[in-house]
Amino acid sequence: MTPERWQQISRIFNAAISLDGEDRAEFVAGECGVDTSLRSEVEKLIDAHSNASAEKFIGGMAAEAAAPLLVGDENLEPARKVLTQGQQFGSYEILEALGEGGMGEVYLARDTRLDRTVALKVLAYEISTDERRMKRFRQEARVASSLNQPNILTVFEFGEVEGLTFLATELVDGKTLRDFLKGKRPKLGDILDIGIQILAALDAAHEAHIVHRDIKPENVMIRDRDRVVKVLDFGLAKVSFTKQSEASEAATEFKTAPGTIVGTIRYLSPEQARGGAVDERTDIWSTGVILYELVAGSTPFGGVTSSHTIVQILEKDPVPLSKLGNAPPELERIVQKAMAKSPDERYQTAKDMLIDLRSLKKRLDVELEIQRTSSPTTMIDAVRTVELRRQRGKERSKKKVLAIALIGMAIVTAAIFGINKWRASRARSNPSVTPTVPAPASERTLTYWITVQKFRDKKPFQNPFTIPGEMIFEEDYQIRLSFSSPQAGHLYILNEGPAATSAPEFNVVFPSPTANKGSSLIAAGQVAQIPEQSWLKFDAQQGTEKLWLIFSEDAVPELESLKEFAGPATQGLVADPARNKVVQAFLNTHSETKSSVEKGERLTTLKTPGNLLVHAIKLEHH
Amino acid sequence: MTRVPPSHNITQLLAEWREGDQSALDELYPLVYDELHRLARRYMSRERKGHTLQTTALINEAYVRLVGQKNVQWANRSHFFAISAQIMRRILIDHARHHAYAKRGGGAQQVSLEEAAVVTPDQSAELLRLDEALTSLAEMDPRRSQVVELRYFGGLNNEEIAGVLNISENTVTRDWNMARAWLYQQLTGSGAN
Repeated sequence: MTPERWQQISRIFNAAISLDGEDRAEFVAGECGVDTSLRSEVEKLIDAHSNASAEKFIGGMAAEAAAPLLVGDENLEPARKVLTQGQQFGSYEILEALGEGGMGEVYLARDTRLDRTVALKVLAYEISTDERRMKRFRQEARVASSLNQPNILTVFEFGEVEGLTFLATELVDGKTLRDFLKGKRPKLGDILDIGIQILAALDAAHEAHIVHRDIKPENVMIRDRDRVVKVLDFGLAKVSFTKQSEASEAATEFKTAPGTIVGTIRYLSPEQARGGAVDERTDIWSTGVILYELVAGSTPFGGVTSSHTIVQILEKDPVPLSKLGNAPPELERIVQKAMAKSPDERYQTAKDMLIDLRSLKKRLDVELEIQRTSSPTTMIDAVRTVELRRQRGKERSKKKVLAIALIGMAIVTAAIFGINKWRASRARSNPSVTPTVPAPASERTLTYWITVQKFRDKKPFQNPFTIPGEMIFEEDYQIRLSFSSPQAGHLYILNEGPAATSAPEFNVVFPSPTANKGSSLIAAGQVAQIPEQSWLKFDAQQGTEKLWLIFSEDAVPELESLKEFAGPATQGLVADPARNKVVQAFLNTHSETKSSVEKGERLTTLKTPGNLLVHAIKLEHH
Repeated sequence: MTRVPPSHNITQLLAEWREGDQSALDELYPLVYDELHRLARRYMSRERKGHTLQTTALINEAYVRLVGQKNVQWANRSHFFAISAQIMRRILIDHARHHAYAKRGGGAQQVSLEEAAVVTPDQSAELLRLDEALTSLAEMDPRRSQVVELRYFGGLNNEEIAGVLNISENTVTRDWNMARAWLYQQLTGSGAN
């Protein structure tokens, strides 16, 4: 069929099907005239049209019809991972897939900036698309990453690459407590060590007002080389529940998915199971359950179904540890106190429980030490030696106890000193979150901070750090700017290099295709990072770089139109002298609107009356 | 001060493709294919019982995953949908071929009983025939073929198709009617061609 013929047929066909019965027949006859083959083709097509409509031919979607094909093939090939080995993911290189967790997939990856190996967790899509959850997640991750305690898994970075949200953390070469427990009963010393370290982690977190809420053996890792305990998912577990009556929702979640998370429910506190308010004491309960399990070899509560377990958690007293294992009575007392049904009757802080566990451990160590130094030479003497030790030991051990007590005190002092120092540094290091109370409409507020990465021999050198703006930068420094405002508005950032000639040349830094997806509009509370995935670096030209910040309630036409220069062709350089003049005139007119500058340790907050803020950050570089 | 060039991303590839750079499509294709394939299968395994697969939701999800939520630019999105419809077609056809092959006794693995129960032999055969007919249609009338591709494989509605192809909705309706009638003829053997 020739294209002309085809077009002719379709023209008649389309007109015809909008007509009915006789009108249609008449129309087709009139259009086709003596061309009977044309008429026959059109008529056949009209028939096909009616049949196709009646039969709903290709009426649905291919994927619906063919969906079973996709299911069936599951058996034929393994499912694909989100990321593949060798793939570059932001600044990470994927080395291998480590496994799949509740919140996403975990990979072994190399951070190419700092050349270190990390664990990279890519969040499940269901989580990353829930804006509300993500907001909480981000917030929690930020706080969690500021926790600096050896028993808490260090969070290096929380970010997004091409729509995938990820979390990069320290890599722990070891196993989870769950795996550690498989097929063995840990020794009393190990049990205490594990409990002490979990509580040390909780103590630090609680100080920072972070409740874990999901303490369980799966979230506790033990490093192979030194048995150091790392608590995972700090402040992250929280977001798997929603705000209102999170625990009750959690409980339903467990109920509706039997088999899948049954293991988890056993560590729920009564208030979690009931759906009540949850605080730090929930973590104390769960730690109690873990200790109980470590001693007894099984969890205190565990019914046939989740509902049975919940009822037990709420109402039943567990079988006393003394009946199950040979735990010292002090440990039984500690566990009992941690697992009091009413939070008010539990340890009120992790620190209190930690102190009790530590002193128990210390006492046992001393006893062990005494036992060791006065150990019987032969097994036959064992019974007699125990008797003897009672008398001999008293004198012998006094000195030793004193020495150990002194060491203990030194450790406690150091720990307290450390905590204070840590607290102080935390207060400094926690870039205060942008105020959420909106400023009056007649005032614009913009907060910014600068992240600096030093380079040496073209490699990142030391960790990036944050400053409020002023510093002398060297040539191999690279920086990132971050901005946030409690108000929504249009943000423009122009760079004015050290003036080589009298006419200034501007560089569009923001918006650009790679920042805020090309839009100048930032939402209230949004943190805009510029550039999003790379850094700004200083070029060879030394002197004072000016970064002009323009934050306006309305879009600024003079600046909005500069976007065209932000593309890859001109790399942001406003390559037009006339346009540069327009910008300069704009800045001259408005830079007189003085903004107040509040400089903090890490952040600078600018405030201007009116709806337009213009400010220049001066960056010296040599 | 200069910007350190960032790595290539989907947004950029889409923009380059839109501006006529065909090599960008070569880079995009496998990325989108993998993503859609993975999602389609996940959807299906999740909804094993219902067997409903909302193509638009699927492509939207792929888009958000690959491009990012904040970057919903219509131009990019419509191009993404256009390529996704094409890819969905490929994915389904690949699977249909695979099945047809397995049915003939080829392939290393046996088709499980469960699978044989859900897949009627006609489904894959019919899909393959439709694909062939659509390819013939494209030779004659690429736009009408694309309308079918976007609607049937991409799950787009007429308004969205009009946006992607930059034609009026009325034209979409007319194209669809004509193309469907013609395809029906081809598949039922009632056509003159």
